[in-house]
Amino acid sequence: MLDNLRQDFINKTTQLVVVNRELEVVDSDNNLFDISKNSDITDFHPFFFALTTIFDEELQEETFFCVQMEVLGKHYFIDIKTYIGEDGDTLVLILNDLTDHYKTVHQIKQVRNESIINFNISQELNQQLEIQRSFKNKFLANVSHEIRTPLNSIVGFISVLENTEISREQLDVLHIIKDSSKNLVTILDDLMDISKIEAGKLDIKKRRFDFREFVEKLAKTYQIRTDDKRLSFDFELSSKIPRFLVGDHLRINQVIVNLLENALKYTHQGGIKFSVTTSSVNARRIPVTFEVTDTGIGIPKEKLDSIFDSFTQLEKRGLFGGSGLGLSIVKQLTDLLESDLEVKSVEGEGSTFSFTVFMGVSHNQKKEKVAKKKRDKKDLKGAKRPRILLGEDVEVNQLLMMRLFADYGAYSLDIAKNGERVVEYLDRFPYDLVILDLTMPVMDGLDAAVQIRNSSNKKVSKLPIIALTARTSQEEQDAAKEAGMNAYLTKPIDADLLFSTIERLLSRYKRKDKVLEISEEEE
Amino acid sequence: MSVSKKIVLLGHFGVGKSSLLRRFVENTFSDNYVVTIGVHIMKKEVVVDASNKVTLIIWDVEGTDDFTKYRPSYLMGASSFVYVFDASRPVTYGDLKFNLGHLKEKHPNVPVHIIGNKVDLVDANEIKKALEEQEVQHSYLSSAKTGENVEQLFKDVAAQLLENA
Ligand SMILES: Nc1nc2c(ncn2[C@@H]2O[C@H](COP(=O)(O)OP(=O)(O)OP(=O)(O)O)[C@@H](O)[C@H]2O)c(=O)[nH]1
Ligand SMILES: [Mg+2]
Repeated sequence: MLDNLRQDFINKTTQLVVVNRELEVVDSDNNLFDISKNSDITDFHPFFFALTTIFDEELQEETFFCVQMEVLGKHYFIDIKTYIGEDGDTLVLILNDLTDHYKTVHQIKQVRNESIINFNISQELNQQLEIQRSFKNKFLANVSHEIRTPLNSIVGFISVLENTEISREQLDVLHIIKDSSKNLVTILDDLMDISKIEAGKLDIKKRRFDFREFVEKLAKTYQIRTDDKRLSFDFELSSKIPRFLVGDHLRINQVIVNLLENALKYTHQGGIKFSVTTSSVNARRIPVTFEVTDTGIGIPKEKLDSIFDSFTQLEKRGLFGGSGLGLSIVKQLTDLLESDLEVKSVEGEGSTFSFTVFMGVSHNQKKEKVAKKKRDKKDLKGAKRPRILLGEDVEVNQLLMMRLFADYGAYSLDIAKNGERVVEYLDRFPYDLVILDLTMPVMDGLDAAVQIRNSSNKKVSKLPIIALTARTSQEEQDAAKEAGMNAYLTKPIDADLLFSTIERLLSRYKRKDKVLEISEEEE
Repeated sequence: MSVSKKIVLLGHFGVGKSSLLRRFVENTFSDNYVVTIGVHIMKKEVVVDASNKVTLIIWDVEGTDDFTKYRPSYLMGASSFVYVFDASRPVTYGDLKFNLGHLKEKHPNVPVHIIGNKVDLVDANEIKKALEEQEVQHSYLSSAKTGENVEQLFKDVAAQLLENA
């Protein structure tokens, strides 16, 4: 019985061959393959050239796993063992046919290798995409900056022109130009935001703020805007929401403004409803739900999926433009705020956008007393006009500022064309405030600010400084702060903001100045 | 006179070792990837010049990214190593230096030819730059698909074997 089994299971898969130093076949049982006696075994298969090395290096025992052999059209996987014979001049070979076993191994390795290679390839592609993306973001940031600079002077001079004597007709045209320019500024801001979000540069900053006042102000603005369009405006702010919350009001503001603007843009009759509610009270963290509902044109079902597509995707499908970037930013911002943006819409009936943000409830619900200072132009005019020094190299910007200051009338303005000049002027003349453009030749605004702060003359070193720049990055704001600047304004210059900032800093400076004088007297 | 010499094709899996061999021996190419397991051996006589021929016994060994795992019996008795990488996949040449070091240590006297295959898929200059950065001296950029440099590289290997003999 064992003989039969041996015949079935061993003999059929094992072959014994003996060869001499010349690699001639001395004997073979030919269980697997026909290998003629006295033939050169390398003629049977080139694998057997390896036997020379075995003889040369006197390797007593060696195994070659998984050697592939094609014999009479059939593919074999063979393990080959070699033993040097007792006489030292022959080699015993044991050929073990493991084709079935190795076929399974082959299948496994085939799948494994293919999946690893595919993974490598997709990783490689991702890397390339990442490089392209960061290039795109840098490109966007640079281009927006380049466009912003000339746009600044356009917007600025429109304001100047508005205040000149022009006809009603010209004023109308001017307003159209102004609106378009402002749109352009918004688009640029959106582009910057998107590139920042995509580059992961925008983070959420949580601060305590007067939430109720914030929402009410927003509502007031849109009450006016909807009135203008003869639309109704419903506003609801749940009384359950505490006054002071902790969250990123800038980002939340950006989301809501985008949603309200969108509602306004697409609603031509009926109205808009803006509600702010919470489902929870008396907790340290509460979910605040913002909802904007309109009776506008609505969104067709098939487009619902794509309205939040990122800029990248829009770009891919060539859909950039038209619907604007607003919703894509909203989506990315709500993601950053760890909130889900939901949209319900029926074409022709209207849409509802809603999102819920978790916000902290501030321990302190008391309003700080802000000493309201009366702003009074005449007062300022009556007194000696404060002298302001501006460091600005670009001529159109110089002109623009001269016009703005001339129209406002409360201050006298001197202009220096770079940081070095600014420092020189400060040494020679008394000023009350300095405005520095951050990018100037010879000495830029940051360096000038540092020099001013390090001045041995206290009248100079304590001067309030306003940074002025077309760039809007957080890094630059931080750098300005670092250099000791007191306020940071971006171009296009908003005249109201500019003058209110100047006033604020001047009054603070005066107060401090007095304190300073008193303490000096006491010494 | 014809001598026979063993050479071994080494490298990561999927870099085109079997394809190079098939192009060289049978002058065919397939886009299908059929993984080699164990070793597949082919021979071909190369005419180096009028009076010199070499029969190359070419061992096409199962690819691996870990050269320390090569079965010693496969590499034993080799006169040359042909190290193939895939020019379109940086993972297959990122560890070149390390693997070469390992080969040099185990087989100090066996020359190594470095072949960047699938050059039809990439910009040759980019690859050359990447290799320069790694300070590795490659022998050829080849393509089993188009046949570029295939004949040439095996001929060079053969010629060098004769010089050393
Ligand atoms: N475009 C292109 N594809 C190639 C080239 N050489 C090989 N390929 C393809 O690459 C894949 C892998 O080729 P193989 O020759 O099987 O690779 P290998 O190095 O033998 O792989 P293992 O046996 O697993 O170690 C196959 O799909 C081939 O068609 C080439 O020069 N150009
Ligand atoms: Mg192979």
